[in-house]
Amino acid sequence: MLKSFNQNAVSNTHKAKSSILWRLHLDAPLLLGLILLMMFGLLVIYSAGGESIDLIKRQVVRLGFGMAVMLVIAQIPPRILKMWAPVLYVGAIGFLLAVLLFGESSKGAQRWINVGIRFQPSEMMKIAMPMMVAWYFAEKALPPSFKHLIVGLTLVMVPTIMIMMQPDLGTSLLIASSGFFIIFFAGIRWRYLLSAAFAGLVMVPIMWFFVMHEYQKGRVLTFLNPERDPLGAGYHIIQSQIAIGSGGVSGKGWLKGTQSQLEFLPERHTDFIFAVLGEEFGLIGVAVLLALYLFIIVRGLQISLQAQDTFSRLLGAAITLTFFVYLFVNIGMVSGLLPVVGLPLPLVSYGGTSMVTLLAGFGILMSIKTHRRLHSR
Amino acid sequence: MYKKQAVKDYGREISIFYVRAVVALVIVVALLLVLLFRQFKLQILNYEAYQTQSENNRIRIRPVAPIRGLIFDRNGILLAENRSIFALEITPEIVGKKNMDETLTRLSELLDIDDKQLSDFKEQIKFRSKYKSYPIKSKLTEDQVAIFSVNRHLFRGVTVEARLERYYPHGEDVVHAIGRMSAINKADIEKMEQEAKVTQDFSKLKNYAATNKMGKLGLEKYYEEILHGFVGQEKVETDVRGRVVKVLERQDPVAGQNLYLHLDYALQKRANQLLKEAGARGAVVAVNPVNGGVLALVSQPSYDPNLFTGGISQANFSALINSEERPLYNRAVQGTYPPASTIKPHLAWLGLQQGVIDERTRIADPGWFSLPNNKHRYRDWKPWGHGATMRVVDSIIESCDTFFYDLSVRLGINRIHEGMQQFGFGQKTGLDIVEEKQGIMPSRSWKKANRNEPWYTGDTVNIGIGQGFWTATPLQLANSSAVFANDGIRFDLQLVKEFQNEDRKTSNTPVMSAEQIVTGDGTWLDTIKEAMRLSTLPPLGTAKTAFDGANFSAAGKTGTAQVKSIAQDETYDEENIEDKFKDNALFIGYAPYENPQIAIAVVMENAGGGGGNAAPIARQLMEFYLQNNDLLPKAIAISESSAKQQASLD
Repeated sequence: MLKSFNQNAVSNTHKAKSSILWRLHLDAPLLLGLILLMMFGLLVIYSAGGESIDLIKRQVVRLGFGMAVMLVIAQIPPRILKMWAPVLYVGAIGFLLAVLLFGESSKGAQRWINVGIRFQPSEMMKIAMPMMVAWYFAEKALPPSFKHLIVGLTLVMVPTIMIMMQPDLGTSLLIASSGFFIIFFAGIRWRYLLSAAFAGLVMVPIMWFFVMHEYQKGRVLTFLNPERDPLGAGYHIIQSQIAIGSGGVSGKGWLKGTQSQLEFLPERHTDFIFAVLGEEFGLIGVAVLLALYLFIIVRGLQISLQAQDTFSRLLGAAITLTFFVYLFVNIGMVSGLLPVVGLPLPLVSYGGTSMVTLLAGFGILMSIKTHRRLHSR
Repeated sequence: MYKKQAVKDYGREISIFYVRAVVALVIVVALLLVLLFRQFKLQILNYEAYQTQSENNRIRIRPVAPIRGLIFDRNGILLAENRSIFALEITPEIVGKKNMDETLTRLSELLDIDDKQLSDFKEQIKFRSKYKSYPIKSKLTEDQVAIFSVNRHLFRGVTVEARLERYYPHGEDVVHAIGRMSAINKADIEKMEQEAKVTQDFSKLKNYAATNKMGKLGLEKYYEEILHGFVGQEKVETDVRGRVVKVLERQDPVAGQNLYLHLDYALQKRANQLLKEAGARGAVVAVNPVNGGVLALVSQPSYDPNLFTGGISQANFSALINSEERPLYNRAVQGTYPPASTIKPHLAWLGLQQGVIDERTRIADPGWFSLPNNKHRYRDWKPWGHGATMRVVDSIIESCDTFFYDLSVRLGINRIHEGMQQFGFGQKTGLDIVEEKQGIMPSRSWKKANRNEPWYTGDTVNIGIGQGFWTATPLQLANSSAVFANDGIRFDLQLVKEFQNEDRKTSNTPVMSAEQIVTGDGTWLDTIKEAMRLSTLPPLGTAKTAFDGANFSAAGKTGTAQVKSIAQDETYDEENIEDKFKDNALFIGYAPYENPQIAIAVVMENAGGGGGNAAPIARQLMEFYLQNNDLLPKAIAISESSAKQQASLD
């Protein structure tokens, strides 16, 4: 009976349209959203990178690699992922420790270790952490008890603090939020949430005086008043706002953004690519981009809602919302709503590591979506 | 209770998740709307402000320098042109104050820039807009351009620009007439600013926005505004490094006007050559008596003005400034010399005109003159005197000093001062060169003001032979001889004959002003002219040797000026005197006598006698000019050809 239900669901939703994709464990709408986003990204990178075909080739190779990773992960059923979660988590903690002890420095921060290839363990943690916390709550009665909550929080805070010490504030906040999302979806009581928010407010001055580095404080100050340092830290913010603002409704046209083409805009094909998009495609382009993101997020939440076990549900929703945090922080920073944090615009910015991680996350979502029929409680 | 909670409740779990997912989605949508509204604010509400800022980022208004007017001689020979060169230029703003010294050091190592060029550059950028580029080295060789191009990436804000730069193809021959150019300096800017402040007219300052050099001397300075033209404008798109990506709009500059001169380059060149051959420092000025146009304006030794245009090197500059020959000194317009006997015709004319003598007035010349009740003897150049019956014409021909000692005392300084002013002494000739000196035509009040002494009659005696306090420029001497040639009309001298307008088709001419001297009875002028003609002829003329065999008739007067005063019991011994105490040789004159076409003055420092040194040069130049311009009197030519015909008939 259950089997036939599943078969019906399968035939109703996918079989007719995309049986090949189904067999490849890919979700057609999600895949479509991702591909459209990447295409849009390539278009903007081509313009921002001074019409360099070379740059596009390298980005396509990266995207291809990311898609392959996604495809591979999509083949792994959620229960296997769940099984491996603790191993992955402990491994990532080990790597982070290694980074702190003997990692390689780049731009004043220790984020890399070299194990045959150079890689950032914090990227690995972006996946491992939500998996681990989801794994932990999956078998607990939900909403979680206070005791379980404390354990869950500890699982979140340990790697977060380790990454903060590298120091990498952006990534640590991102990772922390993915852990908190799990806790949120697990059903943390609203009053706890509110008290946590209050505690967060109290933490702000403590963070400011005891935790944050000078350059981070500088960024916040500059964010509050970009004119404080118009040729230094404020330059990025001022120039990117000029770029976006001068785009108007319909933009200056592809390849015609003067701010980016004449190189007034720094980091225009990486972290500040949104400004190029805003300048060349205007408010319409921005609306299209946000719509694409919204589509992907809705689809991700939908998949999570349909998930058939707690682990998948929590993990899927957390991955989806973390994706949102990414884009929100980036666009907020580039358009002057948030301080400058070194985060790329997901799936649009030129760059490697974080994109592979993101696509791995979407691989998990694909897996959740397409392995339902094999699932048994 | 506790246990019950600990059991997993899937239904509750899912419903909680469902609620939370909806809450999350609502928050996501709300935040996306926040982002969208933020873009709306930037792109719609503040669009114009950001649009303006973006335009300001990329668009620069650049001034475009006009092309400087050319200078031609009377026959269309190019004397000053513009050549395209490669200049190494620096934009101070892009280099930045901090990096400037380091950049300059590295540049000078790479491209051989000396200390003077470095300090000139630093001086130049101190007070001018730092957003413009300024030349540090001009006239780069192809090798230097190549060397720099390879290293360009190391020098932000340093560029090689193709520029037009002034070039004088016959620099050394014409520099004292045309002048020279060099970089606009602090004083130039301050002067322009001062003017602008006074007149409230800032257009001139703006007009020089793209100009790095200006005329510093001679015509280049006098006609700076006319030669310069009007600045243009270019709207350009630049990238973040200030490099021009493309030109959006352009308002062309208006080229400066071309100058056509009265100057005859061939004559100018010949005069330089003759002075050089004679090994003399000195000056030659030739004037067209018909209109006051200057045909030649020569000062020797000379120098190459091209050295200055692109920034002169330390070695060249000190060589010029320290030379004892003083090549930078323009003797033709700035040299003030005692005119010596060359002004005897002028004084003689004044004596006749004032009626203190007439043509029959005779004096006896024992070889000296003395004032009553004074033992001091004013010596004649001829120790034994010119004889007992010297009349005014004889005294001009033989240059009898005693006659003129006597005449000057009869005239008195007041009348001399006034009368000689009519020939232009003691005042500028009106030449279009700023540096002109006016010399000294002394008077009682002059001596009181300058020497704080009363005028003595002895001073007047010296004036009689063009010595003492009287000094004149070669320019004034040439023009004073033109007054005789022109029957008493004195023109203001003028180098420029014509301006070619911006349209390059029409032209206009400067107004030439002239003044008639008070002639009284006209025949007195003719008397003097006749005496000047005889001065160039045998048997007695002081310039007879110089003009021996000339196929044209000329009029003239020699002069030999003492540089060192000779004591009463000494004689001037040309053989044994130091060079710098040798006499100055002078000559003034014009030709042809019947129909004057050229009036000339030659002054040679420490060359000796005027008849033997200056007159031959004047004669050769007259001959050269008349021949070259086909101005030799027809009568002589005809008689020669008829003589030939006669010979062939025989």
